[in-house]
Amino acid sequence: MSAYTEEERLFIWLAACAGLDDRARSSLSRTCGRGIPPEALEKICAAVVQTGEGGVYKSDRASRLREADAAIAHMDKLRCFAVTLASADYPAALRAIPDPPVALFCAGRRKLLAARKFCIVGSRKLPPWARETGKTIAAELSARFALVTGIAEGGDRAAIDGALPSGNLISVLPGGLDVDYPAAHAALKREIAKKGLIVSEYPLRTRVQKYSFHARNRILAGLSEGVLVLAAGERSGTLITANRALSYGRDVFALPHNAGAAQGAGCNELIKQGAYLCTDAGDILAMYGMERRRAEDVSLTPAEQTMLACLRDAGEGHAAALAAAAGVPVWEAQATLASLEIKGLAARAGGNQYTALKH
Amino acid sequence: MIAKIVCYALQGLEGVPVEVETDVSKGIPAYEMVGLPDAAVKESKERVRSAIKNSALLFPMGKITVNFAPADIRKEGAAFDLAVAVSLLKASEQLVGADTHGIVFLGELALDGAVRPIAGLLPILISAKAQGYTRFVVPAANAKEAAYLGGAQIYPVSTLAETVRFLLGAEAIMPLAPEQFVPRLHAGQGADLRYVKGQPVARRALEIAVAGGHNLLLVGPPGTGKTMLARCLPTVMPDLTFEEALEITKIHSVAGTLGEDGIVSERPFRTPHHTATTVAMCGGGNRAVHPGEISLAHGGVLFLDELPEYKRSPLEALRQPLEDGKITVSRSAGSVTFPARFMLCASMNPCPCGNYGSADKVCTCSPAEIRRYRKKISGPLLDRIDLQVEVDNVSYDALTSDREQESSERVRECVNVARSIQSVRFEESGIRTNSEMGERELAAFCRLSEEGERILREAFERMKLSARARARILKVSRTIADLAACEEILPAHVCEAVSYRLGDSLD
Repeated sequence: MSAYTEEERLFIWLAACAGLDDRARSSLSRTCGRGIPPEALEKICAAVVQTGEGGVYKSDRASRLREADAAIAHMDKLRCFAVTLASADYPAALRAIPDPPVALFCAGRRKLLAARKFCIVGSRKLPPWARETGKTIAAELSARFALVTGIAEGGDRAAIDGALPSGNLISVLPGGLDVDYPAAHAALKREIAKKGLIVSEYPLRTRVQKYSFHARNRILAGLSEGVLVLAAGERSGTLITANRALSYGRDVFALPHNAGAAQGAGCNELIKQGAYLCTDAGDILAMYGMERRRAEDVSLTPAEQTMLACLRDAGEGHAAALAAAAGVPVWEAQATLASLEIKGLAARAGGNQYTALKH
Repeated sequence: MIAKIVCYALQGLEGVPVEVETDVSKGIPAYEMVGLPDAAVKESKERVRSAIKNSALLFPMGKITVNFAPADIRKEGAAFDLAVAVSLLKASEQLVGADTHGIVFLGELALDGAVRPIAGLLPILISAKAQGYTRFVVPAANAKEAAYLGGAQIYPVSTLAETVRFLLGAEAIMPLAPEQFVPRLHAGQGADLRYVKGQPVARRALEIAVAGGHNLLLVGPPGTGKTMLARCLPTVMPDLTFEEALEITKIHSVAGTLGEDGIVSERPFRTPHHTATTVAMCGGGNRAVHPGEISLAHGGVLFLDELPEYKRSPLEALRQPLEDGKITVSRSAGSVTFPARFMLCASMNPCPCGNYGSADKVCTCSPAEIRRYRKKISGPLLDRIDLQVEVDNVSYDALTSDREQESSERVRECVNVARSIQSVRFEESGIRTNSEMGERELAAFCRLSEEGERILREAFERMKLSARARARILKVSRTIADLAACEEILPAHVCEAVSYRLGDSLD
């Protein structure tokens, strides 16, 4: 006997077997988002058949359920499961958006769906200091929230690196769960599925399309109470997630960047428009009325203290300039900075530039 | 009558004695060569015939057989001409009373009887001397090279006729006076650290690299002076010793790239183009096995500009010589070992467009492109490069500033001090520099304090270092401590060494 109710199986059929194209999928989401009684579901299924490819595809309720069972059997084999609008643990926040996905295909720890969720995103290329900061924030937040993010490099990767050790991580994919995209992160995806949860609106074997990122971003925003943007260019796709979050009434946080830095122009724009300025996890936790746990103090040598003071003073600087400021030879500065880097207080920014990190 | 004359063949860098036996007997005129000569040796027939005729000597009529013994090694090249001519003359009784016993004849003949220079003379002389020969007749054009072999009588000749008159006692030739070796500073096309503006980090890395014999990778945007920095490397390297110079000269002599000086008195700086094949890099060739670029760079610098542009196989082939300091090239004819203890210096851009990580320029490469670009250099090769540093974009002010930078000479003094500390330390280990340390030496000379050990452990975990990378960091720390004339490796030294492992933080 199937672990899914008949209604759930019909939703799975709609999402996985009906052969919907992207447009039909989003119109279905909008229809179902308003909430539908079980008898209306039957009508929707029938309508899908009539508009199905060439209009020749006919099927009745029994054969639909059979097809859904076949899809479920295949998912079982790959240790995937589906959570539909009819499921009790379908995330409430996601249900509240105008166009919730009718089914979420998942692999990993199901109970993460019920946890409080917070999203961290950022463009694929972000400055090293932003990556380090994002990683630290993700690590700290993952003790209280399930961290929601994508699976690309850059911002997603920072969030994954920070949250993966705790396992409180939900990665929303832009294609089928068994599709390796980006190919280089195939092993990472498997690890997330083992320790955390991977989620997709698309049935297995769905290839990644350009527009699927757009649709995926609404899930990122929809799942979460708030979104932190680590870095975004002026026209970055990351801003889509932020805008969605705003329209869903979720909180938007952004890391401040240097004025004029192209990679952070989007973040600064968000802050101008009223997003919360965030420099550490405390800013986010405070918003949700949570106490920050005190970080243990790192012990620093006098040379490190001097260098850290110079670095914080300058914010960012070349090893030679910092050496001059601290009054030590460049190689000594280089050594001290490396040790600060190991202690997580500084990051290398390329071209022998270093930036201060907030601990 | 049968005549026997001694000549030498080259196998790799070793000379092998070859006896040229000539028999002239009555019969139908014929001229045969046996004993595994290759095409160039067989052609010596015609050169020798013309050279004898044009030196107002008599080419014997009758059945001539020339044999090269031992018959089982392949003889190549034109270095046998003089020996063949002398043995022919002796066999045809034109050198009556001449003493040819114990003399090694080397040289190629021109049709007019002139003696031409040969490649690989010095390694032959060194081998022959070790095997007990002390008298040599060599081409006058090779005299400078030959003069560095002390303790032997070496007679330079410029024609066959002169050789004959000398052998008959009609003309005296002064044996070469042994040349004194004077190491020369690398001219390096005018390169000097004094002219490198800015780049404090890269300069320091250069100093450490040379002081400990470490390999160096310079990463930076185009036009920031990576090549210029690399060209300065030989100018800060310690002076050549005579033994080193002889070893290097042997290789260059075999390759036929020896200059007019006759000895390599400055450290080689080789810059093979990125189209170089594995054979060009490591040595080989279908007939004679020739030394490759890595052997020609022995004792000096092998500079690979734009590292990711090189084909994968020549780069991977560097891995073993980088560890062992020699390369064994095997061919069907046998295998030859060439020394290849060089310092590897490579340069590359951070990404295909060159602007990744730049503070003021925007990189237009996708992450996948950058990964593909970096992946061209394999992890194992990167692991063998101890120092990986970023070269900065130099500001216009720094470029035009008149501030005098530390010159190569000053840096070389520091390097020499560090090297002398190492030579004392490794007196009994049989190695020369920190980079050559094995596990045993690491355990003996690279003990860390508790604090240093803790830093290294944190770096190891944070940067996901390999075991080899850990050893490399220890070696670089040792060199940094040596530059500071510090007996013990301090935590700061470890930190600095860690800061030069850029490659591990790139992902």
